Amino acid sequence: MVSKRFIAKRLLLLVPVLFGVATLVFAILQLAPGDPARVIIGQRASAEQIAQVRDDLGLDDPLWVQYGRFLLDAAQFEFGQSYKVAQGRAVRDVLADRLPVTIELALYGQVFGILLGIPLGVLSAIRQDSFTDHATRVGALTGISVPIFWSGPLLILLLSTYLGWLPASGRIGSTIFLPTSWTLFGMELPLTGMVTVDTLLVGQFDAWISAVQHLFMPAAVIGIYSMALISRMMRSSMLEVVRQDYIRTARAKGQGARITLMKHGFRNALIPVITVIGIQFGTLLGGAVLTETIFGIGGIGVTIVDAIGASDYTLVQGTVLTFALLFTLVNLGVDITYSYLDPRIDQ
Amino acid sequence: MSTETETETAAETAAGRGLLDRLRASPFLSQLLSNRLAVVGLSIIFGMLLVALYARFVLVAPDFGLLFEAPRAFVQGMVSPDISLLTRSRLGTGVPDRAAPGWTVSGVPANERLFGTDASARDIYRRNLYGAWLALKFGTITVGLSTVAGVGLGIIAAYYGDVTDNVIMRTMDVLLAFPSLLLALALVAIFGAGLWKAVAALTLVYTPRFARVVRGAALKVLEDEYVDATVALGAADPRVLVRHILPNTLAPITVQSTLNFGLAIIDLAALSFLGFGAQAGEPSWGLMLDRGVTNGLQTGKWWMSFFPGLFLAITVLGFNLLGDGMRDALDPRMREAVD
Repeated sequence: MVSKRFIAKRLLLLVPVLFGVATLVFAILQLAPGDPARVIIGQRASAEQIAQVRDDLGLDDPLWVQYGRFLLDAAQFEFGQSYKVAQGRAVRDVLADRLPVTIELALYGQVFGILLGIPLGVLSAIRQDSFTDHATRVGALTGISVPIFWSGPLLILLLSTYLGWLPASGRIGSTIFLPTSWTLFGMELPLTGMVTVDTLLVGQFDAWISAVQHLFMPAAVIGIYSMALISRMMRSSMLEVVRQDYIRTARAKGQGARITLMKHGFRNALIPVITVIGIQFGTLLGGAVLTETIFGIGGIGVTIVDAIGASDYTLVQGTVLTFALLFTLVNLGVDITYSYLDPRIDQ
Repeated sequence: MSTETETETAAETAAGRGLLDRLRASPFLSQLLSNRLAVVGLSIIFGMLLVALYARFVLVAPDFGLLFEAPRAFVQGMVSPDISLLTRSRLGTGVPDRAAPGWTVSGVPANERLFGTDASARDIYRRNLYGAWLALKFGTITVGLSTVAGVGLGIIAAYYGDVTDNVIMRTMDVLLAFPSLLLALALVAIFGAGLWKAVAALTLVYTPRFARVVRGAALKVLEDEYVDATVALGAADPRVLVRHILPNTLAPITVQSTLNFGLAIIDLAALSFLGFGAQAGEPSWGLMLDRGVTNGLQTGKWWMSFFPGLFLAITVLGFNLLGDGMRDALDPRMREAVD
């Protein structure tokens, strides 16, 4: 069982980290070269416009006042407006629109990686040192070595440009329009922002197919890396577990090899794999930035690239903090799951 | 006199033989070299290194004849070579732009424009070769700097403990709370774009990983009695740190560096791909891939993204194969399994 003490301790440890993360994000605006207000509004802005931005951002206050205000605002996810990329929209609204897009992509990528990675790892371990094993291991290493910004373009060239099977960019066919809300028992509810869910909620099945077709390549590209890491971890974890005494005991009691492997081996071997899934989630988010850029998907990954390119610092701050928070929370979830599966680590 | 020299020579040979023998007897090295995949990795890295050196010291270097005609200019050209041959647009010089590799087109000599040309009519083959030099050079600098910083911080944190340890490691925790590419992007937002700035950003990104590994290894070493003995004998802190703790943490550092090398090369290319590393025209694989996506994807000009990515992936694979083999060779459990 998970002890409450472990969770409490883990949450307490989170406080200084989040504090440090917020401090670093605060520093982005302060350390950026030149007068941030001038950079944000552009070189051709008038003196009044610059003064207005300085006022909006509170740049004339003492540093500690700015810092305190930033921490308070950040706690409420309030970063002011995006001056360039979203032309005056609140950063919070931009993130609310785009975060579901990235989460959807990351989830499908992760599912792709798990569904292929775990069976491959098990297969590799069961047939240790066979041809299957070697092929899987080399394949996994190759999967880790091939950058997303190469596998992505190659897939587009093959499946889209030459074969014309799948769309090369976007999230859904350009002729499809989704309503902004859906109704359940007469109640009007907002959509989730994830196209594969929304299309089903509003009952447009052809739109759903289009959404899945659009998502297939990006999710596969992002999932290859997870698949490689997961299958590697699954293999070594499985090999480690089958050497344990309880496996021998189960076999000695007359249980069949296959059942022992699956019932005792597989389930215990999964535990370290969960940690790997957590650790590589950060890479997955980094991969989302590249994947969104390649496939023209408007999530927060593309947002940060655009924001940095345009020196839209408030938007950079909001996006970076969102990414860090997402990563930290997933790792927290992984740690708690882990302590649930393996109560020993709590001591 | 002569006997003295003889003894010296004998001692030298003995020392020399000692080193060779030790290397040969080292379970790590023999283990590593018996790992076929690690040897493949090592060969890939060596091959790519030759390509890089060729690109830097032959391809863009001044003609050797210049050494006799104008030695100054020759040295100048060797130290800071003129790479405009690779970076300058060749549009309007009669070279076709976006042209497919010669061997895929009938009527064109097979070895003409081996990897095709890009949107500025530049030769992708030559740019690719120089990309190897850029990747290995900046990769080495990134890994080197973060290794030195991480090793220093990790050992200091482990040795002094208490407040020092807490301050260092909690700072590292904050850096580790960001997904690595995102932290690099946040830092690039501060530093600005460019290859050297990307190196600075990635150095900060990787340092915490080294610090963690080294701190763990150093804490284990510190439990050994010989460290207490050295301190009791009156050795100063720096001496203990450098002479006794550092050498004993070298193994995990080497593995971490090798595995990180592949990552550094990918991340540098990723930053260039996103527009924050190499700048317009620079023959970096990441930037070439970006151009290939922009200019060649919809029109099916595959060579513009295929070749830079192939070189990149092979190089990274080399480091991953070697790093993997090293980790296996250092893991005593693996050794037992083989014996």
